Amino acid sequence: MKIVGITACSAGIAHTYIAKEKIEQAAKDCGDIVHIETQGTIGTENALTPEEIKEADVVLLAVDVKITGRERFKGKKVVQISTDTAIQSPNKLIKKLHSALNVK
Amino acid sequence: MAENKIIVKIKEPALTAISYLIPVVVAGGLLLAVGNIFGGKNITNFTGTIGVWDAFSTAGSLILGLLPVVVSTGVSFAIADKPGIAPGFLVGLISNMIKAGFLGGLIGGYVAGWFTILIVKTIKVPNWAQGLMPTLIIPFLSSILSAAVMFYILGAPIAEGQRMLTRYLTQLPSSQKFFYGAIIGILASVDYGGAINKTVFAFVLAMQAEGVNEPITVLILASMVTPFGFTFAYFLEKLFHKKIYTQTEVNTLKTAFPMGLCEITEGSLPIVLNDLWRSIVSTACGGAIGGGLSMLWGADSKIPASGLFAVPTMSRPVQFLIALLIGSLVTGIVFFLLKRPVSVESEKKEEKDVDLGDISIG
Repeated sequence: MKIVGITACSAGIAHTYIAKEKIEQAAKDCGDIVHIETQGTIGTENALTPEEIKEADVVLLAVDVKITGRERFKGKKVVQISTDTAIQSPNKLIKKLHSALNVK
Repeated sequence: MAENKIIVKIKEPALTAISYLIPVVVAGGLLLAVGNIFGGKNITNFTGTIGVWDAFSTAGSLILGLLPVVVSTGVSFAIADKPGIAPGFLVGLISNMIKAGFLGGLIGGYVAGWFTILIVKTIKVPNWAQGLMPTLIIPFLSSILSAAVMFYILGAPIAEGQRMLTRYLTQLPSSQKFFYGAIIGILASVDYGGAINKTVFAFVLAMQAEGVNEPITVLILASMVTPFGFTFAYFLEKLFHKKIYTQTEVNTLKTAFPMGLCEITEGSLPIVLNDLWRSIVSTACGGAIGGGLSMLWGADSKIPASGLFAVPTMSRPVQFLIALLIGSLVTGIVFFLLKRPVSVESEKKEEKDVDLGDISIG
């Protein structure tokens, strides 16, 4: 499965990046291809390319605050959760995504 | 995840605004602190020249005086996007003028944002007037409506509520001071700079805008207790030969401690996440005791952030440092006692269940 996503938290210095790492690790463990963009207090890093978004099966937003560029995901399956969910249960989250989208 | 959409709708704008607010607060706080340390004064009637340290203090005061505007604009923008900026800006300025302060800015931001959304969604104009919507109709109508609500409906009660709360807090008997300090200390520390901490931050910042400096000082202390306490626990580890940190965690401490000096608690997060409940319990103990003592002894930072840099602005710096020390020691000792010795193989933790019931396609 191909996943793209954005992480963003209120302070934008810690949870944002931990959530990114956790999601990436969990997704790689499941054999997924994953690209996560961070919108921290420093601004957007590791920005998603249009190709990555186009090819993605699902968009995973682990965000506590307003993000920029949401219109890029028009017509895609979007799942939004808090950064806490991504940090505390990354593996279960990815598995849930798989079962919800009927992808092995 | 279990929380429903309405709560997210209320919470997200506030958190977004605070995320915009933090760099502003830090900039203003540090400028003011540095200026004050070197004897700078806040110059309100500019006469053509200004001394360097006066410039620092004045710049800091200017920024901190506009915090209600920053928060109202942030909230309104988070709700209504770009059209929300103009009315959001206006309600913040009104809030400043009618002395509804930070709380007025926060609530006014929602008013401005929701009015803007309402106008964008409900008002339909013929094609030839489409161009006038964003350039004329939306900014004008949303500003008028939100300004009216602030001036005639919400402003006065908010300002009155703010005054009552201020009076209540300044006249607390000392037995209750410890209690309130402990509560703020716990709430400000237990989620390590997360949403609860930021909510408390909004409230104590509102208090500071009214000249009550003790609550925000508790928050400053509470954010530093965890990194200091964890570092202290490391020395206990050496002293009593009970190994509680893995090598990675020791490396984490090396960045967590200096970050803690500047009141950034998030550096400790990697350690916290490895052992969530024991960390939270020990942080809460230290935050409660440190916060309670700080409030009781009347430690009062004049600036809203920046950790140890805030100490020189206090009229009771020694009391603050002692409260901080005691709080950190408590966190460190409790953490050290609770922690199981680390084995080479760290057990795979059971994750919480997640509910993905509401996958939306849009």
